[in-house]
Amino acid sequence: MSEDGKYAAQVDMVKEECKDASEEEIAREFKRYEEEFLIPPEDALRSVMRKFQAEAGIEVTTSSSPTSSQQSPVKKVDRFSDLGAEDRNVTIEVAVVSYTPRMQKMKSGEERKIAFGWIEDNPWEPSDKRERWDYKDWGDHSQNLAPGSVVRLEGVSVNEWNDKRSINVNRTSRVTILKEGGATIHQPSDEPLTIEKASASEGFVNLVARVVSTKPDVIVKKDGSGQLNVVRGRLADSTGSISMLSWADFDHEPGVLLRIEGATVRRFRDTPEVNISDSTRVEIYHDNSFASIDELSSSTKSSISELRNGMRDIEITLQVETWNQRSFTANDGTERVVRSGDVMDPTGRCRLTAWCEFDPKPGDFIHLKEARVQSWQGSPDLVIDDIGQATNLENPAWEQIDPDDHWVDVELTELVGGGTRRGIRTSGTIVFVTNDSGIIERCPEILPDGNRKCRKRLRDGSCIDHGPQRGEEDLRVRLVLDDGVSNVSLLLSKEPAQNFLGLTQDEVADKISKDGQEAFLASIRDEYLGRRVSVNGLALIDDQGAMVLADSASKEQTHPQDAANHVMEKWGVTL
Amino acid sequence: MEGQRRVRQSAIRMLAREYSDSSLTEVGAGEYDPSFVVTKLGARVNRALVGGVIDRMERRDGDNGPSYSGSLRDPTGIHFFNIAPFQPELHSDAEELLARFESGDRFLMMLVGRSRWFEQEDGGIFMSLRTEQFAVCDKDTYSMWLTDAADATLRRIDAYEKSAGIELNRNSMESAGIPSDLVNGLVSAREHYPEFDSENYRVGVLQALSAASGRSSLIQEPPSEPESSSMQEAPSTDTGNPAPIEPAGDLHGTIIATISARDSGEGVEYDSIILSCVEAGFSREEAEDALESLRDIDGSIIEPRFGFFRILPS
Repeated sequence: MSEDGKYAAQVDMVKEECKDASEEEIAREFKRYEEEFLIPPEDALRSVMRKFQAEAGIEVTTSSSPTSSQQSPVKKVDRFSDLGAEDRNVTIEVAVVSYTPRMQKMKSGEERKIAFGWIEDNPWEPSDKRERWDYKDWGDHSQNLAPGSVVRLEGVSVNEWNDKRSINVNRTSRVTILKEGGATIHQPSDEPLTIEKASASEGFVNLVARVVSTKPDVIVKKDGSGQLNVVRGRLADSTGSISMLSWADFDHEPGVLLRIEGATVRRFRDTPEVNISDSTRVEIYHDNSFASIDELSSSTKSSISELRNGMRDIEITLQVETWNQRSFTANDGTERVVRSGDVMDPTGRCRLTAWCEFDPKPGDFIHLKEARVQSWQGSPDLVIDDIGQATNLENPAWEQIDPDDHWVDVELTELVGGGTRRGIRTSGTIVFVTNDSGIIERCPEILPDGNRKCRKRLRDGSCIDHGPQRGEEDLRVRLVLDDGVSNVSLLLSKEPAQNFLGLTQDEVADKISKDGQEAFLASIRDEYLGRRVSVNGLALIDDQGAMVLADSASKEQTHPQDAANHVMEKWGVTL
Repeated sequence: MEGQRRVRQSAIRMLAREYSDSSLTEVGAGEYDPSFVVTKLGARVNRALVGGVIDRMERRDGDNGPSYSGSLRDPTGIHFFNIAPFQPELHSDAEELLARFESGDRFLMMLVGRSRWFEQEDGGIFMSLRTEQFAVCDKDTYSMWLTDAADATLRRIDAYEKSAGIELNRNSMESAGIPSDLVNGLVSAREHYPEFDSENYRVGVLQALSAASGRSSLIQEPPSEPESSSMQEAPSTDTGNPAPIEPAGDLHGTIIATISARDSGEGVEYDSIILSCVEAGFSREEAEDALESLRDIDGSIIEPRFGFFRILPS
């Protein structure tokens, strides 16, 4: 008992209740709680006591679980026509047609942010089966009332004025998004937005920005009724730059600073664009402290991490990793050559496709102008069409990046909020192992376009495209990686899965046939659930969410004490 | 984004006390809308990653099949979890867990669960987690979780403190430097809960950090702690910072009423008294403090046998 004498007080108390228990065993249990489970003896007392009581057969009553109950006294309707003029606390699902924020002077003199717009009932049906009402938002629900979304309104009331009914969305009302609409409407104000904010919004904006480039262009009307002259260009401020499309006359030269009121931000693919129309007010603005065009031209230079599908006019510096060319027969029968390769910069890697005679060598530094971004299998890749867009740089733009070890660290939240990116490294904790992890069968059918196999996963021995097949076995593991704020689906194909599991595919197959799929999954959970893991690979981000295709994944080897010290330093706490 | 369908909710790292202190819930109205428990520090919890030593494990056999319930103890309190009859994929592992527990084995676990609660008609609310996946783990894994939970809690404490006096809307909150994932929860928490001293949670964080760095029992009780009675008399089950005990008539009444109603001569078990209080709307900590105050200070109840309470015969 000597060393465990520190538990004497607690041991005595347990002993008093459980006369037959051995003091040594009791002390050992307290020691175990303290050293293994990190629970000091005072706090472990009840747990240890219960354990020995149970062993001694002393009845330990267990509390009955309370039952759940919920109440919902609301008026729930499907159609506006079901509503009376006096209805309060209404629940209804609607489609948001428009949301126009305004500042309104209240009787008290204070200004209050409100918004009005149209909503339609019957939101899951085509619009000819819907009824449209006005609504007012008194509760600043702008985050949840984006045009194009379908929402459930709860606790809203009916307002009748001049025989016309409308909906009041109140401060206490709840707005739940059922289907995501466009981007969030930003706060109303005459204050111009920064380009960074404008890029994240949709709808009316005011801007103060410098013209960086302009180019007259022609849009051919789809109905063949003629052409429209437009001006394309780019606007910038110190927070970034954005494409511009003017449907009205626009004769401002690059370098001019403009105040633009009532422009509209629209999206082309994933890329925002400022639209200027006849009703937009554009005037020259004077602000000597505003960034000059030279300063701003650096902000129009992109890096790989910033590329988004649909971007145009990209200026970017790259290091070439590989370069190939292949010829093919185009639809019109002509022989064409396309060149492409992998390129890198300090923020990541992507592919570059050249529809011109551009032949850089691996390791070369190149500079592109007016490049565009096209998505290939979800990954935003650069395209140039004319050799004039590319120059080889004589001097390295940065210290040569080693392509075999070029992983850019990106936190999960940044990853999930950004676009598809190659060559990233991120980390998080495994919080889920999906049940279909393990051996799967893939369709062996050769695709018509060449020597690639279909490789779709067989379900019940059958491919969705090619019917019943004798499948080829493959190994893959699907997990969820989570850092407490964001999460991604983590997919390990055969090679990384073998390294991750420390088992070959054959060994996995053996293990499953011997112990069963459930035991195999349990073994992954035992090894990885709740464990921090570091992952290298490709991040695919789309509307469905975020997925990382791993090149490799491995446990982080941080010592808990170091991690604890790091947390204490970060938040300035001491023990 | 908020309320969006099909987006997986991230697993909040959270020590037991913060979760069990919660009394605010947000029910998703539709079948697929996520529901949340909002903690006092503004964590909106739909899914949580928790850890601790197994403290209880039971099986109940119902009409639809077996269900399991249990609890995990961390340095600040207890997380309750359950496994439902409709989760047969978890039943075999649960059986194994149960067998180990019943054989007297104790071990550390990590558990991912969805928030779930029981409401009583009188407004009391009891927080639990419906298990998604779990695994027995080693001390290093648990220690890393403790530091992650401490980190996440400090981040919430920081945001909570920054939100003092700030207008309760997204813009003002974000301008005050509050991370965007915490804004909605903090707005709801500030509207619902009365002002409290976040120091209570800081104490739990320090306990977690010192446990994780291998200094388990060196924790000093905070100085505000009233002179604690000697070990033999008052083993504190609450590792947090028990606020100075307020005379809480209703709470005391609930405890007395529970004991008188259920005592058939053997006394009434600790957990069942605490649960009654929790169901009546008091926090676990309040209830534990009050129970000890009634025994040690007020003297109106006695604990003739450890863990079983009776009314002091007059």
